This record gives sequence, C-alpha cells and structure tokens, in this order.
Amino acid sequence: MRDDQKNVAQKTAAHREDESLKFYFTPVDPPGPDTDNPHAKSSTLVEDILATLEEEFGEDILEKRAYAGEHEAIVAKDRIVDICRFLKEEEGFDYLVDLAGVDRFTEEERFEVLYNLVNVERGKRVRLRIRVDEDDLSAPTLTGVFMGAGWNEREVYDMLGIRFDGHPDMRRMFMPEDFEYYPQRKEFPLLGVPGSLPLPPQTPEGELTMDPFAAAHGSKPRKSYDEPRSDFEQLG
Amino acid sequence: MSIAPSFVGADLGQQFRFWPRHNEALYKRLESKHAWLEQELHEGDGEPRVDIRDPLGNEMILNMGPQHPATHGVLRCVVQMDGELVERAVLDIGYLHRGIEKLAESKTYQEFMPYTDRMDYLSPYSNNVAWCLAVEKLAGIEVPERAQWIRTMMCELARISSHMLWLGVGLMDAGAVSVFLWTFQGREDIYKIFDEVAGARFTVSHSRIGGIASDLSPSSIAMLKDFVDRYPDVIQGWRDLLNRNRIWIDRNLDIGTITAEEAKELGLTGSNLRGSGVPYDVRRFEPYLKYDDVDFNIPIRTEGDCLARYHVRMEEMLESIKIIKQCLERLPEGKIRADDAKAAYPSKEEVYYSMEGMIHDFMYTDTGVTPPKGARAYHAIEAPKGELGFYLESDGTGRPSRVHINSPSFSNLQALEYMMEGESVADVVVLIGSVDPVMGEADK
Repeated sequence: MRDDQKNVAQKTAAHREDESLKFYFTPVDPPGPDTDNPHAKSSTLVEDILATLEEEFGEDILEKRAYAGEHEAIVAKDRIVDICRFLKEEEGFDYLVDLAGVDRFTEEERFEVLYNLVNVERGKRVRLRIRVDEDDLSAPTLTGVFMGAGWNEREVYDMLGIRFDGHPDMRRMFMPEDFEYYPQRKEFPLLGVPGSLPLPPQTPEGELTMDPFAAAHGSKPRKSYDEPRSDFEQLG
Repeated sequence: MSIAPSFVGADLGQQFRFWPRHNEALYKRLESKHAWLEQELHEGDGEPRVDIRDPLGNEMILNMGPQHPATHGVLRCVVQMDGELVERAVLDIGYLHRGIEKLAESKTYQEFMPYTDRMDYLSPYSNNVAWCLAVEKLAGIEVPERAQWIRTMMCELARISSHMLWLGVGLMDAGAVSVFLWTFQGREDIYKIFDEVAGARFTVSHSRIGGIASDLSPSSIAMLKDFVDRYPDVIQGWRDLLNRNRIWIDRNLDIGTITAEEAKELGLTGSNLRGSGVPYDVRRFEPYLKYDDVDFNIPIRTEGDCLARYHVRMEEMLESIKIIKQCLERLPEGKIRADDAKAAYPSKEEVYYSMEGMIHDFMYTDTGVTPPKGARAYHAIEAPKGELGFYLESDGTGRPSRVHINSPSFSNLQALEYMMEGESVADVVVLIGSVDPVMGEADK
C-alpha cells in the first residue's frame, strides 16, 4: 500500500471509531437584553411591572431575564396563583393569552410552564414562568383566577404530563384517555409507539387495528362482503 | 358481531369498543359539570330516590360530530339536552391532532414553514407570515421594506378570504345556500391572485425567513387592483342583503351572548373578542409589519352576540380592502429578501450562477438560521381568527428546541363550550359558525 493511501485508510478508520459525522454550529453569543432587535415591541418592555412584583413578593421572584425586548420573570411555583391574582386585580392584567409547557430535558428542573398575560388598557404583555421538577410533576392550577386557563392546562397535562392541582377537569386535551404516553416529551419517539393507540376496525365486525401500518406490513384487510367466485374458480 | 350502541346510562365500559376510557371520561365530565346544581338538590345522605332533575325523562344526550358537516371539520360536541335546550355541553377535540409542535422540533426553521399552511388552512398566508416573523424575532433578522409591504397586503387578502368562507358557510348553516356560492366566487378570485403571486392557489408557502419567495409580477398587481376596485361594492351588496334579512337577524340576535368580562375571562380572541367590546387587536396592540403606517379602523361591537360578531367581520373585510389599497399605492421598490446568507435564502440567480450562492443555498437548507443558545421569543399576529402567536426557544442549533403555537381557534372553542349552554339545539350550529373555528389549528 502506498504511503498516501495508508494515510487515507487510517483517517477513515479513525473516523469510523467515533461513528458519526458531527457538525458543530458554535453559536456562542449569549442572549442578552437585545433591544436592537428589529421586531422588538414596546408592549413587552415591562421592567417596571416586574419591579412592582419584586417589591410585593420579594424572594418569590426568582430570576428576571430579557431577550429581544421581552422581559420575563421566573417565579416560585407555589406562589404563581397569588402573583397572577395580584397582576389581575392590582395591575389590570386581566386577559390570559397563553399558557404553555416546556421540556428542558437535560436541565436540573426539567419542566417549565409559561404564563402570558396581557393588559389591554395599558398595552402591556408580561410573561411569567415556573419550574416543575420531574420528581414532583404538579403545579397549582390557574383556573381559579382565569377560567380560560382550563384547556391550556389540559393541553400541558396531555403533552408533558404535568398535573395541575385543583383543576376541575383534568382530562387529556388532544389524545384519548387510552393513550399512556406524554408525546411532547423529548424522549418520546417522533414516529410514535406502535400499538399504543388502537385504530378502528377495518370491517364492521373486525377486530381493532393495533398496527396502524398494517397494509405496509403485508396484512390484507378482510372484506365485509363475500365476493362471487370467479369463473376460473368455478371451472375448478 | 359488533355491540349495538345504546343510550347513556348503560354500562359505558362495554358500550364502546374503541377508546373506551376516553368516552367514559367524556361522559363522566358531562355528568359532573356544574355539579353544585345537584348538590343542592341532593339532601343530606346523598342519592335521591327519584331523579329530581329529570322526573319525566326528557333528557337526551346528543353526539354532534366529529363527522358532521356543520361542525366545520372534526369537532365533536356532546350535548345534554332538556327538550330542545342545551343544558350542558362538552367539546371533544383532537381528532385532527398531528403533533405539529413535536414535528417542528425535528425540522429546521425554514422546513417547518409549509406545515403552517396546514394549520389554519383557510388563510395559509397569515400563518406563514406569523411563523417567519417569530423566527425573525428570535434570530434578530431584519426584513426589507418591500417584503414587509407585500406581506401586509397578502395577510389582509388572506383575512378577506377566510371571512368570505366564514360568511358563506355560516349562512349555509342557517339555511341560505346562495351566499355560499357568491362568497366562493370571491374566494376563487383570491385564489387566482395567490396563484399569480405565489404559484399555488391554496397552500401558498410564499413567505420566507428574511423576506418572501418571489416578487409581485405586473399582472398580479393588476389583479390586486382589480380586486380592490370591485369588491367593496360586492361586500356592501352582501351586507345590504343580510342586514335587512329577517331570517338571518332572527337566527343571530341575542344568540350566544358574551359580555366583555366573560370574553376576557374565557380567553376569547379575534373578532369574537371585539364583538364583545374588548378593543384588543394585535395590529394595534403591538404593531408588526406595516400596520402602524397604514390608516384603518378596528371595528368593535359591544353586544357580544352572534349578530355583533357578524357585523365585526363584515366591517373587517372592508377595512382590509382599505389596507390593501394603501399598500398598493405605497409599495416601494427594493429587495424582497434580506441580503445575508446567514439569515435568508440567496436569490435563484446567485444560486445558479455563482459558487458562493450555491454553497449558501446548501448551507441554508441544511442548517438554516441558528439563533443564539437560550434565545426565546414570542411573536403574535392578528390572524383572521384572532391572535396567532408562536413561542420559540432555541438551543443554538438550526432546529428549535421548543415551539408552542398559541392558536386562536383553540382559545375560541373553549369559550364555545360555555356559549352553547342555555341555547337551543338549532342555534348550536349557528354558534359554531359564528365562532369560526378551524380544527386544523385548534388540534395542532
């Protein structure tokens, strides 16, 4: 083997060892209070409101952050209902626009729940978030303050498995109750779990379809009627 | 042999072979909703000897949907009726759940854009723009002026198209068939414009991160001009006809009334919220694109019934035409996409005739935009159905680590459950039409 060929062979072998072609993007600039963002809105500059919250609730406001002209606060899980009630009754944030869950997967406190509140008169939007630990998958419900939180909390429960204590109707939102997984979690496979969700039978009297890709796997559905025998068969 | 379905009250576990636990939970919810009513009736030790609430057995549970043409898609309404009145209603959604939030986490930002077409499939252009704006906010990408004007114009066109469908279908629910044909004629004209502008009639996918895919051709501008010249009269004609139509007014007046406080409490959004007198429109609340540069009104009604929502949407269509007119007048010359290989696709000329262009195109398709690690942003637009917001989180790669879609139909449907209660069963269909849900968006 020629020297240059050996070189190539070695390189390839070394490469095989770590088995994957890795591609790093190295985006390292940490997100700061990026106010030159061309899409930043004045409605989300709510430093004063977060300062008021800090005065009122002190250490329960755990952290304040800003990115792209959006100020937000991480607050203690147990106090979220009090904080939202304070915002609604004292500060006029009486419209809950959005409530969502986030899976941070490898982080310490794995799940987060976001609350997006709007004050229509003052034109302000504030975002709060709480952190939920994987060992204690529950959060206080906001339905006592905003009735509209009901379905959003059900959605978070359905997708991530966070239960909301005191929720009047803690059913799944999109998936049927017979489904036993929480699909939005990072460890749930994108293609789903085979057999986890039976589909309707293919004939009126047939069995439930356990494999949704049955046809691709070579199974032929039974017909609901008897086909007349072909001439060829009659001839024997 | 399959088990013959029987009415509720039988053994629920045996009744449904398909998703038994789901249906059981649904009916339990229907029973336990407003449970305080029974608690007052049940005295002391619990179970009453006769059914006090329904001694004559008037009650009936009706499943409307998920495959009922009047439910606008695959909405399932389980209503408990006393005679003709709806006593309790539970909505069951999720029959069109495709997990697009999950899908988005495995795609690059640009790759996900065609999926947004399939969310609110009555106004794909607005969804494209909403997604692109959210990504641009997350990554701090500036969009050229001309692209912003074109986006504004097309979003308004999408609003008109969506409201036209709402009008035609809503009237068909109430029993008038002819309006459906007229509004679909209008939608056909809008399809033709989209076809000329984007190359697709329906799922346009015309917006790109950092701009739009292609510039307007002279013929598409001519078509737009023709549209805005003709349609104010056409829409006014529909209004003249319907505003004095006895049947239409009677079917809508005082149906599904929601006060401003209730609307906020329930999280209603869009025209439904403004029909109740809450002046909340994202175009004014936090102006995006060119909405602070154009002159338009935001129609508001305070009655909060179906008729108010009808008026709001009809006036919105006329305001949208006003916006498109101004956009056409003030459309500046210039680029249609950001001139930055890290932010937007290069033009096709660059791709075909230069090596750098081809590399950039490849890199953009493969990796795309990479917002900084830990970046998070929420951007909302006023879609035809209401506030459509995307909350994005980045982990520094070309794929979002979390995408949350705040879809207006989802918020509106929750309030629909409360609106239905107390109305008669014939009005349920009108109510669904009046709230204007799209299941593709509500089910995500």
